[in-house]
Parts: sequence; C-alpha cells; structure tokens
Amino acid sequence: MANPLVAEDTQAPVLGREATIEERLNGILSSYQRNEDQLIPILQQVQLAFGYLPETAMRKIAKFLNLPESTVFGVVTFYAQFRLVPSGRNMITVCRGTACHVRGGARILREVEKHLGVKPGETTSDFEYSLETVACFGACALAPVMVVNDKVQGRMSTAKVRETLGNGSS
Amino acid sequence: MNFEDAREQAISQWKAMQQSDKLRVLIGMGTCGRAAGAEDVLDALNKKLVQEHIPAEILRVGCIGLCYAEPLIELVKPGMPSVFYGDLTSELISEIVDDYLVAGNPRPDLALGTRGEGTLDGIPRLFDLPVLKPQVRISLRNCGNIDPENINHYIANSGYEGLAKALRMKGQEVIDEIKKSGLRGRGGAGFPTGVKWQFCHDAPGDIKYVVCNADEGDPGAFMDRALLEGDPHAVLEGMLIGAYAIGATEGYIYIRAEYPLAIQRLQIALKQMEEYGLLGKNILGCGFDFHIKIKEGAGAFVCGEETALMASIEGRRGMPNPRPPFPAQSGLWGKPTNINNVETWSNVSAILQKGAGWYASYGTEKSKGTKNFSLAGKVVHTGLIEVPMGISLREIVYDIGGGIPEGKRLKAVQTGGPSGGVIPASLIDLPVDYESLAQAGSIMGSGGMVLMDEDTCMVDVTKFFLTFTQAESCGKCIPCRWGTKQMLDILDDISNGRGNPEDIELLLELAESVKDSSLCGLGQTAPNPVLTSIRYFRDEYEEHIKRHHCPAAVCKGLVKAPCSHTCPAGVDVPRYLRFIAQGQFDQALAVIRERIPFPSICGHVCPHPCEAKCRRGQVDEAIAIRALKRFAAERGNGLWKAGAKSAPATNKGVAIVGSGPAGLTAAYYLARRGHAVTVFEALPEPGGMMRYGIPEYRLPREVLAEEVEEIRGVGVDIRTNSRTGSVDELFEHGYNAVFLAIGAHQGTKLGIEGEDSPEVMDGVSFLREISMGNTVRVGNTVAVIGGGNAAIDASRSALRLGAKQVTIIYRRTKDEMPASEEEIEEAIREGVKIEFLAAPNRIARKNGKIELTCIRMELGTTDASGRRRPVPIEGSEFSSFFDTVIAAIGQMPESPEQFGLPLERGNTLRVDTDTLATPREGVFAGGDAVTGPAIVIDAIAAGRQAAISIDKYLGGSGVIDETLASPEELEALPEMEEGEKQRIPIPTLASLSERLSSFAEVELSLGEELAVEEARRCLRCDLEED
Repeated sequence: MANPLVAEDTQAPVLGREATIEERLNGILSSYQRNEDQLIPILQQVQLAFGYLPETAMRKIAKFLNLPESTVFGVVTFYAQFRLVPSGRNMITVCRGTACHVRGGARILREVEKHLGVKPGETTSDFEYSLETVACFGACALAPVMVVNDKVQGRMSTAKVRETLGNGSS
Repeated sequence: MNFEDAREQAISQWKAMQQSDKLRVLIGMGTCGRAAGAEDVLDALNKKLVQEHIPAEILRVGCIGLCYAEPLIELVKPGMPSVFYGDLTSELISEIVDDYLVAGNPRPDLALGTRGEGTLDGIPRLFDLPVLKPQVRISLRNCGNIDPENINHYIANSGYEGLAKALRMKGQEVIDEIKKSGLRGRGGAGFPTGVKWQFCHDAPGDIKYVVCNADEGDPGAFMDRALLEGDPHAVLEGMLIGAYAIGATEGYIYIRAEYPLAIQRLQIALKQMEEYGLLGKNILGCGFDFHIKIKEGAGAFVCGEETALMASIEGRRGMPNPRPPFPAQSGLWGKPTNINNVETWSNVSAILQKGAGWYASYGTEKSKGTKNFSLAGKVVHTGLIEVPMGISLREIVYDIGGGIPEGKRLKAVQTGGPSGGVIPASLIDLPVDYESLAQAGSIMGSGGMVLMDEDTCMVDVTKFFLTFTQAESCGKCIPCRWGTKQMLDILDDISNGRGNPEDIELLLELAESVKDSSLCGLGQTAPNPVLTSIRYFRDEYEEHIKRHHCPAAVCKGLVKAPCSHTCPAGVDVPRYLRFIAQGQFDQALAVIRERIPFPSICGHVCPHPCEAKCRRGQVDEAIAIRALKRFAAERGNGLWKAGAKSAPATNKGVAIVGSGPAGLTAAYYLARRGHAVTVFEALPEPGGMMRYGIPEYRLPREVLAEEVEEIRGVGVDIRTNSRTGSVDELFEHGYNAVFLAIGAHQGTKLGIEGEDSPEVMDGVSFLREISMGNTVRVGNTVAVIGGGNAAIDASRSALRLGAKQVTIIYRRTKDEMPASEEEIEEAIREGVKIEFLAAPNRIARKNGKIELTCIRMELGTTDASGRRRPVPIEGSEFSSFFDTVIAAIGQMPESPEQFGLPLERGNTLRVDTDTLATPREGVFAGGDAVTGPAIVIDAIAAGRQAAISIDKYLGGSGVIDETLASPEELEALPEMEEGEKQRIPIPTLASLSERLSSFAEVELSLGEELAVEEARRCLRCDLEED
C-alpha cells in the first residue's frame, strides 16, 4: 500500500543511478550485525548514502534485522533526523534555539523562507535547496546562526541571508 | 606500551614543545571558532608565516570559553608570555605577524591578554580580566590549552593519573572518594553521583553498563559540546573510573548527531586509548576490561531522559518508561546501568587526579565544586564559563558576562532551558546552587543560561519553550502530550491578541496538573517556563490580554512595527518616514496628526521610546525618528486640515482642569467630537509643563504657541489665570464631564536639615520661575540634587543664568540615571559635573555660603525596579560649599486633595487605568496627576484615552482617530537604504558661549537632503509579510 508520506522510489534524485538501491543497500548492510540495536545506525548510514530513506530500503532493513516493518517505520518517524523524501543538493538549516530566538532567529528563518519560497521541511522544486530547522546547534554564542551544508554561519542578519543565498532563489 | 613509559614520553614531548625555540600558535578550532571564521584566519596566518619564513608549531585547540572574541589565537614566542588576540580577521592576523612577530611590537591595542611568566607593557594578564577572574576551571581544565586530538597532551597534563590511581584502589573506595567530593549530577537534577554509583555497584548482575549522556538537547546550551570538542579524554577517563568502581565492562556515549566535530574528536580519542592500552582488555595491566561505543542520537529531545535514552540505544523509539525500576537495577537490556552526563564524567577524572578534599573546597555546603554554563542571549561576553557553585547571578551577568549590550537593561535570566524558568532581574543577587535556583522556581539544569533584556517578551519566550516541548513530547502519556499542546494554544492566543482574562489562571491550573501527572522529566518540567514567567511577569501577560500590547514589541500578531507599537500614542512612524523619503512632507505631517495634536513639540522634546525599539538599531543605529518628526512638522503645511472633520455640536460641556499636554490633547479631540470644551489654567500661559517645566533652549515658546493656537482653532476655550477650586463648582456651572489634568507641579522635599534656607530651591519651582520671566538669581557655584530630566534641565538652566560651576549630585551611578542619555551628554558637554554615588545629609549656612554635607553611597542589592539600591557608607560624610542648591528629586501634584477624590501613594489621583475614570461619576483624570512625572507623549496618550472615555460617557462613539493623509502609493516607493549606514548627525548649536549666554535653542533644524537620506534607512517593518 502506498504511503503518502513516503516518496515513490522512481522520484529519487539521480544520486548514484549506476548501482541500484538494492546493490548499494546490500553493501551497507553487510557491515552490520543483525541486532536490533543496529537499527538506528543502519538507518543513519542509509540516509547518508541516499539523502533520505526510500521505502524499499526500510522494508529491506526490516527483513535484515528480522523486525516488523511497522517497527522500522515507527522508529523512522519518531526521530527528527530521518527523512522520507529526498532532500535538495544544498541543506539550509536555521537554528531555533533559545539564544538564536532571543537574538532574532525567527526573522532569519522568515527571510530564508521568503528567499527560497519554501517552508521548513520542504525542498525547492529544482532540488537545489532544502530548508530545515534545528532545535539548537550549540553555537549559541554566535547567535543567530544558520548552517549551509556543514558550514556554520554565525551572527546572521537578514542582509547576510540574502548575501549567502544570493543567487539561490528558485 | 606501558603507561608509565607512555607518560614519561608524553611529558618530555610536552616539555620539549614548551621549551622549543619555535613560535607556537594556539588557535581555537571548536564549532564557535570555526563558525566565526577561524579556518580563514588560520589559512591567512599560515600563508603569512611562510612568506616571512617564520617556523611555527600550530595547535588546533578547543574552546577557552571566550566565544564572543572568536576567532581567537594565542601566540607563544619563546621566552615570552603568550599573547591572546581576539576578533581576528585575515587582514588583522597579517598585521599582527608584521608588528609582533617581525617587529616585536605586541600591539597592546589589539591584544586581549597575556598568559605565562612575565608581563608585557600595556597588556593585562588574561586570567586577571573580569571575564575570567571569578572562574575556576576544573572540568574545562584543558580546554583551549591542549590539542584535543593528541592524547599525549592530555597525559602530559595529569591525564589518566586519576584512572591509574583508581585502579590501585578497590571499587568501593573509588565510590567513597566520589561521595566525599560531594559531586552531584551536572545533567541538571543534581542527584549525588557517588550514591548513584553505589546503587549500581550494589545491584546484582555480572554484566553492567555505564553511559555518558551527551545528548545535550536544551536549546541554548553548549557546554558539553565545547568540553567534548576541547578535551574528550577528560570525559573518557571519568567513564573508565566509573566503570571500574561500579564493575561495568561496557560503556556507551550517547551523543547528538548535531555535534559532528565532537563525535569526530571522540572517535579519534577512543582509537588512541586503544593504542595506549587504556581501552579493551586488561587496562593498564590491572585486569580491568572495558569497551566504549559511540551511539549517535537521531534528533529527539526526550532521549536526554535516561529511560528514553536507553530505549534509543537499544534501537527503539526513544520513549521513557516509568521508574522504578531505576536504571541502576534494570537498565540497558535489563542490566544494571549507570548514566552520567559529560560534565559529571569530566569532574570525576579531576577528582581522582586531585582528591575529593580539594574538589569539595570549592562551592557551597550542599553544592560542591564548579558548574559550567553557556552564557548566551543578550550579554556582551557570550561564551562558556565554569564557576564555583554559590557565585551570584550578578557576578556571572555583570563581571563575567560584561553586562547587557547597547546599554539596555537586564530583564531576566533563563536557566535550565525548556525545563527551567526565568529568574527576574530583581533576584540578581541569588547564589547559583541547586537549592537556590529551585526555590526561585527554576532549575540548575544542564547549564544553559540565556540572558534577556527589555526587548525580550516573556509571553513570546514562554511560547517558544512550549512550542519546543510540545513538539518534542514523545506522546506516550496524555498529560504531557495534550497538556503542552493546550498550554501552547493558550499562549498562542495571548500573543496574537485573542487572550481572555481568565487565561492566566487556566494556564496555571494546567501547568500544575501537567507537572504532577506526566510520566517523565520532560513533561514534569515543561510547565516551568509558564509557571515562572507568570510568577514574575504576570503584568506582561495582562498587557497582552487586556490592551493587546506587547511591551517588548516582539509578538508578531500584535506588533506591526516596533516603533509605532512602542509609541504611547501609536504614531504610525514607518508610514510618515516613507512619505518623507518620497519628499511628501505634507503627507508625513498628516500621518503624525492622525494620532497627536503636537507634532512639532514632540519633534523637539520627545525622549523617543520608539527609537529604543527601532529594528534598524540591531543592524547599525536606530533611525533618528524624533528629528524626522520635527522635520515633518517644520516642512509640512496645512494639508492635514483638509481631512480633519468636526462632528456636529452635542450641546454637552466638558471642563478640563490644566492645559498641559494631557489636558490640551483631550480638549482637542473632545472638541472635534462636537463637545463644548473649556480648559481652566491656573498659570498665565497655556502649556503646563511644556511651558513651565521644559526650558526654552529645548522648546522655543513660539513652537508651543503655534500648536496651542491649533487647539483654539477647533473651538476650545482656554482660560488662563483661572485656578479651579473643586469639582462641584464645575458641575454647578453646568459641565457634563470633568477631566483633571493638573500635572505634578510641586517639588519633593529632600527631608533633611536646613533645606528651608532661601538659597535652596526645588527644581520645578526653579524652572517655573525662569519660564515666568521672573528674575532668578543663582550664585557662582550651584549644586543640583537628583538624576532625572528635571535635574538636567535645572543644571543646564543654571549655567545659562550665569553659574560658573554646576554639580549634579546623584545617589546611584550613570547606568541607573533616569534622565535621557542625550540630555546627560549635552549637559556634560556644556560643563556640568556629575558627582555619582553621593546623597545629601544636611545643609547649613556658613560664612555666606551653603555647606552641603553628603554621604558616599555604594550600590547594594537590587530593588523591585531592577536597579541596585544605594546604600550609605558609614563614616564617609564629606562637605562642599555652594552658593545655590537645587533639589530636583521628584514632583507630585499640587494640592490634589481639594477635589475630594481618593489619592494614591505620591499624592496622585486614583483612576481606573483602562478608562481613566475616577471613582466619582463624570470625573476623569490623567497625565502626571495620575502617573507622577512622566514624558509629554505619555500625557498625550492619556489625553487621547480621556477623550475616548469622556466621549463615550457623553453618549458618543469614542472614535477619535482620523484619516488625514492620502493612501500610500507603495509602487512609487524609493528603495530602502539597507546596507550598513550610520544615522545622520543631528545639528546642534556648536558654540558653547552662544549656548550659555541665552536660552537660544540648542538643537537645530534638519536639512531636506539629510532628512530624506535618514528616512530611507527605515527598514519598513510594517510592510514585512508573514
């Protein structure tokens, strides 16, 4: 049964078309033991490889660990880190921590939303940018902060958002 | 390798490095440093060193805690104390290489401080700076000093000596040592660590686990991240010691995935430990086996709760379980498990290295040792600190933190993140320990400390925390799942102007039940922000609910633009600024006229609360709103009159007592509503304090006269020299309603010996006499007592009357002075001296002079206003001689009792604060007579409210707002000036002799070009879309 939350595999981005999902999954799973406590590390590894968790992958992981598919899906939807849809090539993460909030983080988020035309959890139609928020990066001393891919940018202002995303508007 | 050999080798390497004749560079490469641009600075430095042929050893170190100064570098020249440089850029570091490394000038202007033996001229010792001096670094002992990726650095600094010592003891002896140290869990709850270990130690079972909780989830907390990034071995050594004491053979570090650098550093550290025989089988040859695995969290705040954390390690949804059984009996996979957080483990290794007695010598009776805090929010020195328990919040905020930026006032300190609460500024002297914080309604928490100033809205912050906990509630138990949602919904209503008066009680009730009935710590503590913010800031909730007003101008649903929201009269600032930017000055004036009848007066004298909240101020400097208002008033013509309409006559009469800004504003709007208005003024000219309080050099009389004429123009009858005796008299004359706006024209007495001498005047009378045109004589030397605007006005006026030396005597310091900053600055510029921290004790006449005896004050604890109380220093009396003494310490209404109405403290009239109605029917009161001395715009706002209430009382609609300006053509708007651009300088009369020889106006008119330029700096917050 198709789940509306889960993207069809055919919509997956072009990441590694040459090897099938199946083959790449087997490669990942072969380095793990078949214990339940390996579930989260496996999911993290698979997401790292595919950018999200394709439905077939979740089914295969369930089989591999001998767990009901519902358990795997339950864990995936419990944790904020896991994505059921592909993400864009660039990940913009805006911190919503207390220090950022007190120093105007909400305005930074609004500016990014305005600039990219997407809300947190969404991806631009050209798959160029995904926008996420995080509870706190722990870079509070430099609040407000925003992370572009892995680069933490401190002391943000709306002007700096525009500068950073300069040509990124979709 | 044998540990002793490894140790010797590490120490000799460390020594060789210390004694090397090569330059050593320590650069902060934690997340903060990197985010601030440390990598670019390091690249530039490397390039420059190669270019100058300077060989150097570069150490990438962790965070020393001065996050505000990142990127941060320590340069160690052989044989010299090292020098720290902060706020570096690529250009600056090249400059420093040229000046210090090549030419030998350490650039004291750029250096933060020195460390090590010896001193350098003009550079303080780093650890003597107020930001570091009160700190005691135990858990952070190595952060910023060693390369966290080099185990030898850790070992050379007593690393693993604690473990070696523990392994020579019995497990129980190690537990006893920890008990003796008094260490309590640093994750927040403060459970005694040794006792926790004992439970796990005593639990039956051959397999036991220890866990390091590094799921630092509190937004606003980064202590654990910095510690793991800067000194991972200190934590790992602690885990080994705990495992040995308890009898565990396996350990887990549960760390959030958002900390990639910390994870990487831990992985490196674990690999090195294995190489050194510090992990695995038979550790240090003592027969102790131990393995550690890293488990990355996947983003769930609830996993910081220990039972949820264990579920997550086991691969399941991270949902908590009821306790008992406690993890010590049945934890991971049902085995006894001991969980401590990162900071606790780091303290454990220090305790074993240096002894329980040493550790317990820090802190208080019940809270031993030190605590790490991440200091963030509205504070000058954001960063990571470690302080002895029992230190006061004041020391943390003002000494270590350097106070609040931009001269704003501290409002509250938030501790414990979403599980904690807000502590108001009035409790700033609270000692920081587990019990005191709990008593104040907050918790120690893991150590997030977020400072909030007057621009932080407590409803908004509470909503922020509830949004967080509601989203992070795992959903297992109903009280937490639905309770947080319900509380959030109510907060959302309040912050959007949909609140009901009973909401506050409902919130409290909900909060108590969620607290009592939730399954785990998340739900049990989630109501804390609600409970504490209502406990300390209930009035803010009420403002939101009753008046739809957000005092901090934050809540989006209520605030269109912070400037107009903050203006007591609600003048639509951004709209008139846009008209100025477009050169349509008539329209700009019309916009101002839509809300106030005194545009020019406000343009001259308003202390502009709007500018304090201007969002542009967060980019560079606030817009010069007041000066632009004056400009609009000067350049705009009578276009506004075309739109102004008067209602047909109602045949109702209103008597207004007092022709100050409150009285005349009410008169204007009531006349517009068709009522016959008579204003009774006791003094010879209308204007109240605008005429008899504010000196002419700030408000030229013709400016006042012109705007008073406009009031007369709508049919208001102003009768001067008419003192009103009673309200009955007015009703007898047939008036249907009365508005008492008598101001506060009587100076407050000093209440000291000798103040009745003729050379001693009070400030209000002094200013009034000058304004009446009477001859007022001051001697050569004048003392003015007080710190408000009246004191400044009196002292600047005294200079203009020929005084040679004017000294203001104020009992607190400049920071607490209520006078507006611009006024204080101008006074100082004109030569006024200010004697802070002194209060008069007695006055005596001696040889034709006035001997003023004062006593020195010091600032003590904080009072309810958040300001520190002045406390006399015994035996510190001192005397000075003056010719004239002016006491400007306060004002109150003059004989308000004649109206036969109930009075409040300070002799002010009692009213319903919403409607301004007094207890007597048909009688209203407002302005200074109700509030005590305030500013013109407050009185105008009161006048507006009085007009609304009186119009309704007389059967009208109470609608006084008018549309006077044309609709805006937003398409034609010129671009706003967004790039960095400071505000324009406001022209003033430069020549001091010209200023002091008369009462000529000091501030001058703004030219058109400057005004338009300034108006274009407005960020147009009101047009921002959601």
